[in-house]
Amino acid sequence: MSEWDIAVERTINNNVPRVYKTLSQYPYIQDLAKELRKAKLEVLNNLQKYVEQTMESVKRIGGNAYYATNVYEAREIIAKIVGKNKIVVLGKSMVAYEMGLREYLKELGNEVWETDLGEFLIQLANEPPSHIIAPAIHMTRERVVKLLREKLGVEVSENATHEELVAIVRKFLREKFVRADVGITGANAIAADTGSIILVENEGNIRMSTVLPPVHIAVAGVEKIVPTFYHALLEATVQAAYAGLYPPTYINLTSGPSSTGDIEMKRVRPAHGPKEFHLVLLDNGRVKISQDEVLKEALLCIRCGRCHLHCPVYRVLGVNWGVPPFTGPMGAMWSYIVYGDTKPATLCTHSGNCKEVCPMGINIPRVLEKIKWIANDKERNKT
Amino acid sequence: MLGKLIFQNLQKFGFPYPIDKSVCTSWAKDIPRGGETIIYTSCMYQTASLSDVFSKFIPYAEKLSSLSALAKLIKPSKEEIERAYRILQNISLMLKRRGVQFGYLYEDEPYSGAILLELGYLDEFGEYAKIVTDFFKQKGIKRIITVDPHTHNALLRYKEFTNFDIEVVSYFELLGNVKARIQGEIVVHDSCLYSRFLGKREVYRSLLNSSGVKLVEDELVTGKDTSYCCGGPIKPVNRELSEKIARLRVEQLKRLSENIVVVCPMCYANLSKYHKILDFAEVVE
Ligand code: SF4
Repeated sequence: MSEWDIAVERTINNNVPRVYKTLSQYPYIQDLAKELRKAKLEVLNNLQKYVEQTMESVKRIGGNAYYATNVYEAREIIAKIVGKNKIVVLGKSMVAYEMGLREYLKELGNEVWETDLGEFLIQLANEPPSHIIAPAIHMTRERVVKLLREKLGVEVSENATHEELVAIVRKFLREKFVRADVGITGANAIAADTGSIILVENEGNIRMSTVLPPVHIAVAGVEKIVPTFYHALLEATVQAAYAGLYPPTYINLTSGPSSTGDIEMKRVRPAHGPKEFHLVLLDNGRVKISQDEVLKEALLCIRCGRCHLHCPVYRVLGVNWGVPPFTGPMGAMWSYIVYGDTKPATLCTHSGNCKEVCPMGINIPRVLEKIKWIANDKERNKT
Repeated sequence: MLGKLIFQNLQKFGFPYPIDKSVCTSWAKDIPRGGETIIYTSCMYQTASLSDVFSKFIPYAEKLSSLSALAKLIKPSKEEIERAYRILQNISLMLKRRGVQFGYLYEDEPYSGAILLELGYLDEFGEYAKIVTDFFKQKGIKRIITVDPHTHNALLRYKEFTNFDIEVVSYFELLGNVKARIQGEIVVHDSCLYSRFLGKREVYRSLLNSSGVKLVEDELVTGKDTSYCCGGPIKPVNRELSEKIARLRVEQLKRLSENIVVVCPMCYANLSKYHKILDFAEVVE
């Protein structure tokens, strides 16, 4: 068995039964998922209206909101806020990866650190992530020992336990959190009515990235907008449950810069946390896709990663299926949406497991069938 | 372009690749020709073992100006063809025993177009669906009994492209109950299409369950949304991937039982490379 085969088998055995158990133990989650699907569809059908509403809401609560049509614009906006020679801590974000943000900010002379443990390992190894919520699932414990030894230059025993490995990274990153000038995160959901963003996490790194540095920047695709604050909370709940991590250790909510109402109940910003909050909304192909009746379904994805672990193609190809960070069945859809790459879709065997397990009820095989058709159509027009 | 080539072959040979049509029809001897209800093989069982051979040709297919010469040369082995015929004959016999009346189109039987659909050649599939639908209507066909999931699925998708209003039914839906020809435990490898797209998973399971064999199940191997594909549909695009999926699938199934039963000729062909595989129509009567 290859290292990938071992790692993915362990992951499937740990995760798949746990999600089934969560869904039967907390039966309300499936109803919430249905409600969320409806709310997200409402946004996709009126995307422009909701983008405008979100930007107004963010400004109303003392934040700054930006709209970027492509990754270059988005990077420029962020680079301007960050500046040079800064310490930047990143919370895991597929959109940040999509725009090559880490490398870009480093090129500008900043010190940039991933703070999600898996993504941190990916950064050290200089490899693409293999799964959307567990980016380093292709690495065995043995491999992590070697990596930390080589890249951090610290003593790590051959037999170090999982706990010891986590402690080593914790010690290393703690100092970065405290000294960081800017925290950059993604967003699991953005509430159009209040301008709040929701982040679901377990490690505590998001809390620290969003609260310790004086500036917090959130980057997200426009499809992350939901109509209301209530729906944003639903998204956090559903995402965590279908990812197999329910209840999530933390749900982090940010509505503008830090604030207090302690003197005469007047709300004043900032307080102890960040004095600046910025939200960068990214299109990069999403708006066009929202206009296609079949493909638009892909934008409902809440990045729970469940489809990956039920897919025979992902089981065999892993990170080699899709354009990172977009791997697996969802990645075969998203590789086309953001990179225009139709090839991953052509490798779908339409086993259909993905559509059965997707909390958003996305008919993934149908979306991929349409992408295959687009690829064939392009080919046809060439010949 | 692969889609164009397949479409041309369909016009020339009545099949996605060059083939001698007698391979498709020789299993049937005493079935009346035509009629309102037909058994429809789409030549899937008869040629399943050839999908491997032809997937090897695909990278070169577009360079070959004419494949006609291959038609006479490439045939399933005697053993493979006899087995496929026995399966079809048993299906036909089981139906007859239960009083189901049906005809067969012999060399006029068209291919369903499933491969075009599965490779995403939706325009070609739609065009072809119209041709086949017109043909069925011309023949006065009102009801089609399918024997494999790919054909069944393709026919049901016709209505997205044309006015297809013919009843489509899987043969095992007409069986009522069956008796097992083997004893002991078996594991079912579900067809992805039957199980997750066509809602028939429970139909053949309950037939098997009441036939006298014992089905071994495992939540992570045979569950509705955990059981893996055999890799067959991806073979024309990526042979290596298809084979790896098949090998992995056989390993999973073997852990549950040595007797692996399938309900699809493509699953049969793809998994057979790694283990002895039994078709549903071989284990019941
Ligand atoms: S496509 Fe569905 S199952 Fe897959 S990651 Fe997205 S929401 Fe989860």
